[in-house]
This record gives sequence, structure tokens and C-alpha cells, in this order.
Amino acid sequence: MKKLIITLLFVAAVGLLYAQVERGNALIKGGTVLTITKGTLENTDVLVKDGKISQVGKGIAAPAGYKVIDATGMFVMPGIIDAHSHAGIDAINEATAPVTAEVFTGDAVNPFQIGLYRALAGGVTTIHAMHGSANAIGGESETLKLRYGVKDPELLKMEGAPRTIKFALGENPTRVHGSGNGIVPRTRMGVEFVIREAFSQGKEYMEKWDAYNKAKTQKGFRGAPPAYNKRLETMADILRGNIIIHCHSYRADEIYMLLNVCRDFGVKKLVFQHVNEGFKVAPELAEYGAMASVFSDWWAYKFEVYYSTAYNAAILVKNGVTTSINSDDGELMRHLYHEAAKTQKYGQLSDEEALALITINPAKQLGVDNRIGSIEVGKDADIAIFKNHPLSIYTVPMVTLVDGVVRFDREKDTDDQRIVVDPKQTIDVTLHTNTGHDHETCMQDAEYTFVRLFGFNQQEK
Amino acid sequence: MNRFYRIPRQWLALMLCWTSLGVFAQEEVKLAPVTRTYAITNVNIIQGPGRKVDMGTVIIRNGIIQGVGKNLFIPAEAIVIKADSMYVYAGFIDGYSRAGVIKPKQETNRERPKDPGNPDPEQAGITPQNDVRTSLNPADKSVEDLRAVGFTTAQVVPYGGMLSGTGSIIQLGGETVNEMLLLPGTSFYSELTGAQRMYPATVIGVMSKYRELYRQASLAKSYESMYASNRSGLERPSNDKILEAFYPVIDKRIPVLFKADRYLDINRILILQKELGFNVVLGDVKDGADLTNKIKSANAKVFLSLDLPDEVKEDKEAKKDQSNAEKKALEKRKAEAIAQYTAQAGVFQKAGVVFGFSTASAKTKDIPANLRRMIAAGLTEDQALAALTTTPAQILGIADRVGTVDNGKIANLVISDKPYFNEKAKVRYVFVDGVLYKYEVKEEKKSDAKNAGGKKIDPNGKWSYTTETPQGNTSGTITIKSDGSGYAGTMTSSMSDRATELKSILLEGNVLSFSFGFDAGGGSMTIEVNLTIDGNDFEGTMSIGQYGSFPMKGSKDPNR
Repeated sequence: MKKLIITLLFVAAVGLLYAQVERGNALIKGGTVLTITKGTLENTDVLVKDGKISQVGKGIAAPAGYKVIDATGMFVMPGIIDAHSHAGIDAINEATAPVTAEVFTGDAVNPFQIGLYRALAGGVTTIHAMHGSANAIGGESETLKLRYGVKDPELLKMEGAPRTIKFALGENPTRVHGSGNGIVPRTRMGVEFVIREAFSQGKEYMEKWDAYNKAKTQKGFRGAPPAYNKRLETMADILRGNIIIHCHSYRADEIYMLLNVCRDFGVKKLVFQHVNEGFKVAPELAEYGAMASVFSDWWAYKFEVYYSTAYNAAILVKNGVTTSINSDDGELMRHLYHEAAKTQKYGQLSDEEALALITINPAKQLGVDNRIGSIEVGKDADIAIFKNHPLSIYTVPMVTLVDGVVRFDREKDTDDQRIVVDPKQTIDVTLHTNTGHDHETCMQDAEYTFVRLFGFNQQEK
Repeated sequence: MNRFYRIPRQWLALMLCWTSLGVFAQEEVKLAPVTRTYAITNVNIIQGPGRKVDMGTVIIRNGIIQGVGKNLFIPAEAIVIKADSMYVYAGFIDGYSRAGVIKPKQETNRERPKDPGNPDPEQAGITPQNDVRTSLNPADKSVEDLRAVGFTTAQVVPYGGMLSGTGSIIQLGGETVNEMLLLPGTSFYSELTGAQRMYPATVIGVMSKYRELYRQASLAKSYESMYASNRSGLERPSNDKILEAFYPVIDKRIPVLFKADRYLDINRILILQKELGFNVVLGDVKDGADLTNKIKSANAKVFLSLDLPDEVKEDKEAKKDQSNAEKKALEKRKAEAIAQYTAQAGVFQKAGVVFGFSTASAKTKDIPANLRRMIAAGLTEDQALAALTTTPAQILGIADRVGTVDNGKIANLVISDKPYFNEKAKVRYVFVDGVLYKYEVKEEKKSDAKNAGGKKIDPNGKWSYTTETPQGNTSGTITIKSDGSGYAGTMTSSMSDRATELKSILLEGNVLSFSFGFDAGGGSMTIEVNLTIDGNDFEGTMSIGQYGSFPMKGSKDPNR
């Protein structure tokens, strides 16, 4: 009891010192509610109290002081979740070593990126701000709620979301470290070795520390602690089951390889990212309980991504794999509802199955399905409201709420939604055109590793 | 352009030769001063914020203030400075700078290590065992420049990466390092700066490395004390100079001075502080107005930057032009941002955060004007003076020696002909440790503003240039074009086939300045260029971050 009081006091003190997440009260009236998990409810109200969904039903009256949003004729769905993004962070790749499990994108959160607002304008409320794919084992990633408008980076972090970590197989790590630096891994075999070695070292490390901590409790213990190593500390936490692996992968053989590695080390929490050849190993993924986060129809941007199909998501779903559709890209992130709809053309998924790809399924992959991903009483009021059905080509995102707070409202969208302005900026009103996709943000901060590949690296003589 | 990063050894050797030649050339027979006693008479004495003596006298003897007040007896041996109607203040204290610190001697960008994931700590910028005292040069021009605007004391830190070493407090005067030194080992200097193309290269790498080293140091330290209490049967502790450098921080004997200019960096530093629990001083804060609560609860001390973003000049042409509403809206927000930076000091004052100032990234000649802008934006003159004198003295733990004009204090004084914060004030005398530095007031050239030497300065057009860089000569063209309120331009180089866009192009009198950035793999760098235009020729310098300045000259292409 005493402990509890102290904890409560501590929480209160921290709350006073640090700004708190804003949580809203609202009533969304008369919409078609796509709950995802409990069917579609026509002409239904959703009551939001203190940032949580408190009631879903017909004819709910708005308590005094609640914001009322008229959703008559519109579609109300849970906020879209992007399980693969690199938005909202200032550093993506610590590309200098094949294993950098110790770094954490949550240290580099940037709440001012305008891309976060644009994502909100596409109904997205939560993103997985991932480390890049330059290393076999990258860094821990952060799950961000798009509370765009706040300045404190801490307030974007989804409080209580489980830890996740980025792994990467295939061409990216072999190019950066093998071709780029002439070290292991140069091949897919090398990638497997690097991961197995890291797990083995993590296991040894964990055992050493467990033994030391146990010995320390003995009276009169004298002895040196094992060398502290933050990288192995993280590896040990993966082995303890405290961190979900999200692995960049394309080919069926490497996907199957990682399943075997994880099986050998008893690691169960595993999500594959991209997984373009996932359709070839769908039953194996389902059997292991591994999940898959894919593009709808994007491939052929490098050699290992040629063997692909737009039916990938549907095949995975039909085989019982928990599947999501992600963006990995600032532009795609703005219309994930279209991306999900493509699975109806390629694979005839039902509305519910298609919408699950961008809501409850990515929530499961991030370990937050108890909090977000569907419209249910008790869940966070992260809600996107659309004119026309979100899977229709004519759909228009109208209002997006995070924790019951309106963070995007099409009616109130102004020209300049920046939170901060650089006082030294040169004002240039010419439109900047961005050519092509920025899907290689996956390799941001690691660009220099490309240079040698194309043979015009001026620095090395 | 990436070639700038490789500074060959031969060139460095050459540079060192120049330096030693310079010292040699200046060597002359030094005579001991006739007297070390001074009397500054008929002067308005601002003893400290809010403490003023009208038309009094200050007596200095042997580097110490020996008398402050009216009707003082003036010793016969005293050199009398008739500072009639002038103003004397305690010398200013700079909380964080690199005045007098020699740029690194070694090539910072040597061959990339074979395994960039596991570089030599020194290459990766992890040298907390270093001490700024080993890289001080009393004759460095930066010392003289900072003194000329009224600073007499500064906390200086070494150049380097994330952990470059410990800082010291120095006097901005003296012939030797020992003479300059006021207090050694005063801060554990840190930055969130990554190593170039090796671990830790990014801010996430740096923060992780910081945590790991801190934790390793804590463990090593407690094991060492266990070992010291009874060595029998225990493994000998490993000696690690990097970890040992953390011990005074862990013991809270010295604070961590963190470069904390940007808003997000301050947040990140406070995350580390909260996790690890060290005493923190935030250095060169530029954009912290929204963080006063966080800073207070972390009990952080602050040195606010004396650098401010340039004010936007009113452009009458553009004002008349009603058509471009978008541009106007953007300019309005930019002006608001500039105003927020300028008002920062006032906001900190109101919030009750203890702060001094730092010159780390400020252009020395802009400091008085920037102080006036801060005062116009809400700081009072007394508050500004406190942040220049008494408050930094307290933060740095030297308030018993410096910071006020009082009997017994070190004779660090600045004397200006008008109140210091007056626009027309000129610094006339500075005392550091009782040593006098005189400043002649130059006649202002009336024609300076728009014309130089009767010729109209027109930067527009295409200029050819050459620079002497560490890699040999580079040439190319600079194209400048008037652009509404200012100038726009591009630059080409024989090192690169792409034209680079120039930023912050500014013409002041006959001085054209601009900057441009380039991506150097690990991060982007800004290169600043300052050119003095004389008719169709220019001469000036190009500054590449910490790698130094290189001469640049050129002439206008007659075809344009």
C-alpha cells in the first residue's frame, strides 16, 4: 500500500512537471461506424470520454461541454495504423555496424515534421517509426501517436506500447557492410551468421548477468560485475521476450531462414516487413505465428524485389497470417485506405478483411491491439471520419481524432500547418517537386554507402 | 566538395610552420610594466546590476580592485585614466566558448577505419580524458576579439566530437596558458554530435553510446571502491581513462556542459540527464523558450546563445506588391520565429531560470547589437548585465573573484564611452587581471553604408573565383541575382558538377556574405563565405566549420 502511494505521488509529481497528453471529450453522431471487430453499425453514435471510447450506440445525448461532430452520411472507422514508417524521427539508420541493437529511434523523435500532419489528413493516427534497414540488426523503434500540434517529443510516444526492434535481411545489409565496408555480412549466409552470433552473445551475456545479480544477493559478496554492453543488453531482452522483432525481408528463403533462427533461440514475437515473397511461405508463417506487413503492389525497385504479386496480402490473409499493409513512405502513408482497397481487386477480400489490414492487424503487430485498431468501448478514441466508404476510390478523409482530440479537420485545414518555423529559412514560394518515391528512406543516413556502388566515390583513392 | 574533409598531413605541417613563424616574428624584448597601479577617475561606476556610483574612482593595484567610490586617494605611482563621464562595468563572463582554443591538430578525417562499427575512440570523438588546457593559445585572435567587446573571462572547451574533454575557465588576457587560467577542469563537455561515417554516426548512436559509457563508468567506479577497501582475492580493476573521466561527473563534482542550441537537442539532453542524473549546464541555447518548465525541473543551468537570427529588413518594394499573399504569410511566420528567438532571454528571466550567456556560435561583432535586441524584446538592462556578470560568476562558482566592481575582486573591467547597452557606445578600455587594453575610436566613414570608395557595389552577375583549400586550389563561378528583398545565387566548383544554391546572401556595405551546405555522408555541413568587393574584384575567406578558414578571391566575369 505504501509502495502504491509512493508510486501515485511520483506519477502526480511527474505529471506536474511534464506536460501531459491531451485527452478529449466528444460525441460523433449519426455515422456508419465500421468497428472492424464488431461489424458495421448504421446511424450510430460514438461517445468519447477523456480520450477513450465510452459508449457506442444509437441516440446518445452529448453531455455538457462535449464536442459534437456530425457524421451523418459519413463513415467512422478506427484511426489507420502504419506498421512501417520512418516519419517523425530525425535519425533513421545508425548504419555503421551490422548490429546496432542498442540504438533507439525514440531518442530522435521530431514532432514538427509536416509529414505527420499529412498522414493525419489521410486518417492515420499511429505509426511505427522504425530504424532503417542498413543493418542485420538495427535499432529499437518507437510507436508514435500522431498528436500533431504538440511540441514536446515525449508526448508523441505511445505510452505503454511494447518495445520493437528492426532486423533486415538480404541486399541492404550485405551492400552496406559486405560490399561497402568489406566485412561480414557480404551474403545472405553472412546475415544469418551475424544474427545467430548476436543472439548467442546475448544469451551468454544474459546468463553472466543473471549469475552475477544472483550472487550479489548473497551476504558479503565480493566480485567484479560482467562488462556492461548495451547492445547485448537489448539482445538479451529480445531473448527474454520483451521486444517484438520487425524484420525487413523480401525473399522466401531468407524469411524461412529467420523463422528457423528464431525457433532455435526460442524467440516468438516476430513480424516480417515487406515480405514480397511471403505468399510462398504463408502456411509456414501462420504455423509459427509470425505476422506480415506488406505493400499492396510495389516492387521491382531492386533485384531481390522482382518476384512479387499484388495478391500477396490476400494469400497471406487466407492462409491465416495476421497481415497489414504499410507505407514505408510519406506519400503512400496518406492513402493507406486505397492501398487496402487494392486487396479487393487483387484477392477479393471482404470490406472487413481489407480494413483490418490497416487497423486491428497492424495494432496486433505492434502489440497494441488492446488499445487501438477497432472501435470498441474502452479503447483509445483514435478515430478517422470519411466521406464515402474508405475503400471507395471516391472517399475523402474529413476529420481525424487522436485520444478524442481533433488533430485534423478538413474544414479547418490552413495553408501553413507548420508548428515551428526556421528563423533563418530562405522564403521561396516556388513549388519544390519531389521526383519519384522516397521509399529508400529505409536507407536514410546510409546513402554514402551507395556511392561506392556506382563507382564515383571521390573520397577513396 | 567532400574533398575538404581530407586535410593532408603535409598541409597541416605547413600550417604549423606558419603558426610557429608567426610567434617567432612577434618576439621582442618585453619590459616589465612601470607600474601595475591604475586610477580610473571621474567615471560612472556600475558596480553590479542596480548598483551605481556617479562620477567616482576605481583604483587597481597588482591586478586587484583596491578602491571603488568617491573622493578616493590616488596613489602617486598610479597611471590615471581620465574616463570622464564614461561607464565602467565588471568584465563580462562568457559561459561557453572556444576563445583561444586551437583547432584540432590531427586530421579529424583520417582514413575511414576498416570496421566503421568499431573505430578507435579518438577517431569517433570520444576523448573525455582530454583537457582544454593542452590546446589553448593565448595569442589567438579570438581572445582579442572577444575582449574588445567587453568580455574578460570565459569558460572554454576543446574541439572534437561527442566527448571532447574537460573545459576550463580562463581570463581573456595573459601571455601563457598558466597566466590565462582561472580555474581548470570546470566542466565535462558533451555534444550530441556524431562521428563522421563511423560509430556513433547519428544522434541515436550518440545517445546510446553516452548511456553505455556512463553506466560502464558507474560500474567501474563502484568496483574500484570495493577493490580499494579490500584488495585481497579480487581481480584488479581495469584502467580506462575514458571511463575515469566520468568519475567527477558521477560524483557531481563537476557538471556536464552540453551543447544545447536547438529545441529538440535540449529535449534529448534532458532525457539523458533524467536517466543518468548528472548535473547539467545547457550551453548556447537558442530556442528554449518553450522549455523553461522542463529546464527548471531538471535544475539545469543555462547559457543562452548570443547569436540571433538576422532581422528581416523591411522591403518597401515587396510591401507594395499585394499579389503574393503566400510569400507574405510565410514571411510573417518567419518574423514571428525571429521574434521568439529574440525574446527568449526575457522569457527565461520571467520564468525564473538562472542563465548567463555564451558566445560559442555568435559572431563577436554582432554581440552588442544582439544584446540590444534582447533588451528591446523584454530583458531589462540590469537583467542583461546580471546575465553577463554576476549570474555566470555564480553558475561557474567564481563569484568570489569576478562579476562585480568591488574591493578585492580581480580587476576585470570594461569601460565604454556611453552606457554599454546604448547603440552608440564604444568600448574604450578593458582591464583583464589589471592589465590595460586601450581601444581607439575610429572615425565613422559616412560613405560606408552604400558606397565604398565612391564606387557603387553591385554584387549582381557572374563571378569567377579561386580558393586555396587543403586539397589545393579550387575554382568555379558564383552567380548572384537580385531577388526582391535580397539576393539569390548559385555556385559551381571544379570539385563538383552540380551548382549549389547559396543561402543567407547578404550585402553589408561592400561585404558580401553567404553560406551553402553540402552533405558529407555522415551529416551536412555549412560553409560560410565572406567577401569584400572592390569594384570588379573580391577577396575574402571561406570558413568550413571547425576545419578553419581558407582564402578566396575572384573577379566579375565581364560578359555579364
